[in-house]
Amino acid sequence: MEKIKDSVKKYKKELILGPIFKTIEVIFELFTPLLMKLMIDEGINEAILNNDYTKVIYPSLLILLFTIFGFCSTFICQYFASIASQGSGTDLRNRLYRKINNLSLKEIEKVGKGNILTLVSNDTNRIQLGIAYLIRLAIRAPLLVIGSLIMCAFVNINAFLIILTAVIIISIIIAIIFVFSSKQVLRVQEKTDDIISLSNDDFSGVRVIKAFNKEEDEIKKFSDNTESYYKEAKKNNLLNALVSPLTYLCVNGAAILIVLLGKEMINDLNFGLSSGDLVSLIAYLNQILTALLVVFNLVVVFTKALASRKRVNNFLKTESSIKNGELKEVDYDSKNIPILKFEDVSFRYEDDSNVVIKDINFDIFKGETVGIIGGTGSGKTTLIRLMERFFDASGGKIYFKGNDIKDYDLYYLHSNIAFISQKTSIFNTTIKENVAMNKEINDEKVIEALKNADAYEFVSKYQDSINHELTESGKDLSGGQKQRISIARALYKKGEVLVLDDSTSALDFLTDKKVRNNIKSIKNMTTIIISQRASSLQDCDKIIVMYHGYVENIGTHEKLLEKSRIYREIYETQVRNYERS
Amino acid sequence: MKEVKFIYKYLKKELPFLILAILLATCLAISLTLIPYYIGKAIDSIDLFSLENSNFDWSNFYLNICLALAFLAVLVVFQYIFSSILGVSIERITKNLRNDIFKKLNNVSISYIDKNKKGDLISRTINDVDNINTALVSSFGQFYLGIFQILVTLVFMLTINWIMGLIVIVLTPFSFLLSYFVAKKSRKYYKKSNYLLGQETATTLELLNNIETAKSYNYGDIMFEKFKKQNDDLYKVGQKSQFISSLTNPTSRLINNFTYIFVGVVGIVLLIYASKNGMETVLGTTISVGIISTFLQYSNQFSKPFNEITSCFGEIQNGFASLRRIKALFDEPNDVDHGIKEISNNIETIRFENINFSYDNTRQIIKNFNLEVNGAKKIAIVGPTGCGKTTLINLLLRFYDPNEGKIEINNIDNLDIKKSKLRSKLGMVLQDTWIFNGTILENITYGKKDASKEEVIDACKRANCLDFIERLPNGFNTIINNDDSLSTGQKQLISIARVMLLNPDIMIFDEATSNIDTRTEMIISKALNELTKNKTSFVIAHRLNTIVNSDLILVMKDGEIIEKGTHKELIDNKGFYYSLFNAQFCD
Repeated sequence: MEKIKDSVKKYKKELILGPIFKTIEVIFELFTPLLMKLMIDEGINEAILNNDYTKVIYPSLLILLFTIFGFCSTFICQYFASIASQGSGTDLRNRLYRKINNLSLKEIEKVGKGNILTLVSNDTNRIQLGIAYLIRLAIRAPLLVIGSLIMCAFVNINAFLIILTAVIIISIIIAIIFVFSSKQVLRVQEKTDDIISLSNDDFSGVRVIKAFNKEEDEIKKFSDNTESYYKEAKKNNLLNALVSPLTYLCVNGAAILIVLLGKEMINDLNFGLSSGDLVSLIAYLNQILTALLVVFNLVVVFTKALASRKRVNNFLKTESSIKNGELKEVDYDSKNIPILKFEDVSFRYEDDSNVVIKDINFDIFKGETVGIIGGTGSGKTTLIRLMERFFDASGGKIYFKGNDIKDYDLYYLHSNIAFISQKTSIFNTTIKENVAMNKEINDEKVIEALKNADAYEFVSKYQDSINHELTESGKDLSGGQKQRISIARALYKKGEVLVLDDSTSALDFLTDKKVRNNIKSIKNMTTIIISQRASSLQDCDKIIVMYHGYVENIGTHEKLLEKSRIYREIYETQVRNYERS
Repeated sequence: MKEVKFIYKYLKKELPFLILAILLATCLAISLTLIPYYIGKAIDSIDLFSLENSNFDWSNFYLNICLALAFLAVLVVFQYIFSSILGVSIERITKNLRNDIFKKLNNVSISYIDKNKKGDLISRTINDVDNINTALVSSFGQFYLGIFQILVTLVFMLTINWIMGLIVIVLTPFSFLLSYFVAKKSRKYYKKSNYLLGQETATTLELLNNIETAKSYNYGDIMFEKFKKQNDDLYKVGQKSQFISSLTNPTSRLINNFTYIFVGVVGIVLLIYASKNGMETVLGTTISVGIISTFLQYSNQFSKPFNEITSCFGEIQNGFASLRRIKALFDEPNDVDHGIKEISNNIETIRFENINFSYDNTRQIIKNFNLEVNGAKKIAIVGPTGCGKTTLINLLLRFYDPNEGKIEINNIDNLDIKKSKLRSKLGMVLQDTWIFNGTILENITYGKKDASKEEVIDACKRANCLDFIERLPNGFNTIINNDDSLSTGQKQLISIARVMLLNPDIMIFDEATSNIDTRTEMIISKALNELTKNKTSFVIAHRLNTIVNSDLILVMKDGEIIEKGTHKELIDNKGFYYSLFNAQFCD
């Protein structure tokens, strides 16, 4: 099973060395106040009384050295942290992207495109940041707190108890505030999402809103939303404002208590506090304060990273429901065995959801032109999705060239079936790569495919012709142009089966006809056409009429007019008016 | 500076709170400085006691402890009030600003919304306002507080011991300079890595949006190569960016520790010098262990605001950039409506007179368009994409106004009619359905909130969508949105029901049924026919069979009417319409 860990593991060296160097820095830092105490308590006296400056000079040089060494080791640690976190993030992103390629449409649609996008960008970023902070700060802060406490215990056991109590109280306060504030942050986020979703609705429906004179209502709705956002944000502010004053209270309160303790025990030679002790204790207290505030900020980063980790792991764990087969090139008797055969095929998205198609039976032989017609939701597109193995049938079997479609290598299957989806796909690359869908491109073949799709005319108008770079999702092309490029793409592939899923809907009737004639002239091509236009299917060798998920009838145009009620209805609504005129 | 003036409008409303926050911040900075001072003085008492021992007067000690406690109390209370007042006021500013932006976006002309990407508009309402929020918190919180803290600490240090004070003053700005330098450097990489991240997101989205094609053309591997290359670039930049920015804290810690040592050593040397020579003061400045302790704390306190201020720079800069974007939106002129007249009766006549129109003043979309409609007529407009069909609808509804010529409704120039009155007479169904996040009922009663249950059911029946709505588990209360849950056809039926409920004088259908299959289209067409009975309707259609019954068919090409007449006349005419129509049926 895949996990995030696999990406992080590659940076084992950095993950171990980073914290070690961090620890070295912390140890250096912890000795500074102690050396300062040595100078104040003993260095000063010996300098005054004996003219001996060693206890001033050596400790100060030592602190200086420690500081420089500390900086060097933290420098190394930060470097390792950046390599480990960015490196594992990069690796994770690559894996996620490959995962998208490997999953079937079923899983992708289940997770949702928006969520997958968030996984690759936001979630991975958060995990990355989590790893970096883990190496850089998660070690430093607790080590600094514990180390300072131990040092305090060495200086004076009573003072240590006071500081320990203060640290425990602060930790509890921080923990409580954190629990509440992390819930509050979620509420604020929900309100933000509401505002985003409302703005999204409003900006896309601006014409309808204006036509219905609803501007005022929309503004009112929006200000209701910002008001409830404000209420939650306010609560969050009031809560978070507590952290800093309460920490100040504990730390400075402890400092004052320690000074009072020093006064009380002034004559106690064993447990008394020297002024040097006091200076160093207060310095340790300050170190603890800074470290604790860092912890508070860290917890937010880590909770976010952990939530992201869970989501990413869940996604990585997902197994594709489509298993790849091994069968490649096969010989089959194309006269007697259909190239494509559906046998009692049914399909539902989930075990407990409604049946989308059921009891589908038909044969398609090599070289045939087959039409599929039916209303929206009748299951036409589902048939195609099963042929391409975007999904597997829930019941029944599909045979390709006489073998179960599941036995084929997907790569082979896909290169044999050229499919043009209902939604045109244009990629942000050159026209020729959009047609060839490969790095090795035969320019002449591209031009031939474009010509057959009636697309070369507009393509050749670009100065750089087929080398013209198309923008993301082909924004500067019209719907018809995009469809024609998609058709050219399918023709370039030269698969044995060509599938057009309502792929000429944006073409005017004249162009549509021209393209269809071009396709027809290609020899040995098995063509499956889904269309809403009865006229586009009239010449098909057979037409499959789909109705509410089952095959209502199969036959030629003439036969269907006789025996299919649905086909007759569709045909008549499209042609009746014409005949009457 | 115009931006400052703009944001001042919002700050003004919160002025009392902001002034209070500033006053509190002043007290805060003073208390923050005084606490270590009094603690240091208390330590001095202990230090002195060990020298003098007997008959020591402790009253000074207690006084100092009490003062430290008092200022601690002030610090705690004021700090809480300061951060909550500031935070809440700024949230209020955020709220008002967002409301105003949204109001503005509803008031600008449609052309502005058309010109800008939806994501960009959302980002202004959400991200840009967030950035301004952060910048305000930074500038009032950290920035002001920081500067004041620096000033107060400075004055204090110089008064207590100018020699040690000078050391702190000389050394700390190094930390400031260093962290400023680091921040600047890392911002450069940060920007770059953000850009690369955006590119990568686009590549991921490209795959997700075209997953079917990518799979069936085995294109996934090639796309992965592209992604991997982008990802490698991102790694290089991201690693540098993270490494450099992670050096901010260590470098300032380095300088801090240097300061700490120098202050300590110089203090100790001064103390030794003073004691040896039996002097109370050195170069006119007192020195004691307590003072050393105070200074050691100050050296910490003094550098902290410097670091915070450097981190503010970036945030304030971002805030200004966002403010400029928002200000630019507010500079956009509002959609003006000079109309005051109403249409009292039913609409009888519509007249387009010599209309010329262009969206960008370069490409003429409508050329010298003339049309007169008297009484209830069914008008169909056909023609290739880009011929100006939809533009006519935009002009009729006054989403845009013509450059030349005029449109008259009941012999009133439509510029004189109040937009809201005009639009309430017109109902429209567009190709891109608009479903907002809400229940089906809310979506249907959008134009008529107080519609009775019977009216709604009747409208749904006529729009042929009652069946499927009632089959949903939650019926009319099903929550729907524009993304999924319903098919395009179902969404269109709902938006048709929405208009049915209103029963306006004129109906406009812009490719309304092009996403619906022909069988359903036939059923809807019946309903639409009923809805448009005895009414004027404009139908833009792709499938010509839906418009053959129209009273008048306008065939448009390149912004001009090239043919017009009834279906029969146009067929007999054997022109452009004839060839278009025939292509549908004959092979």
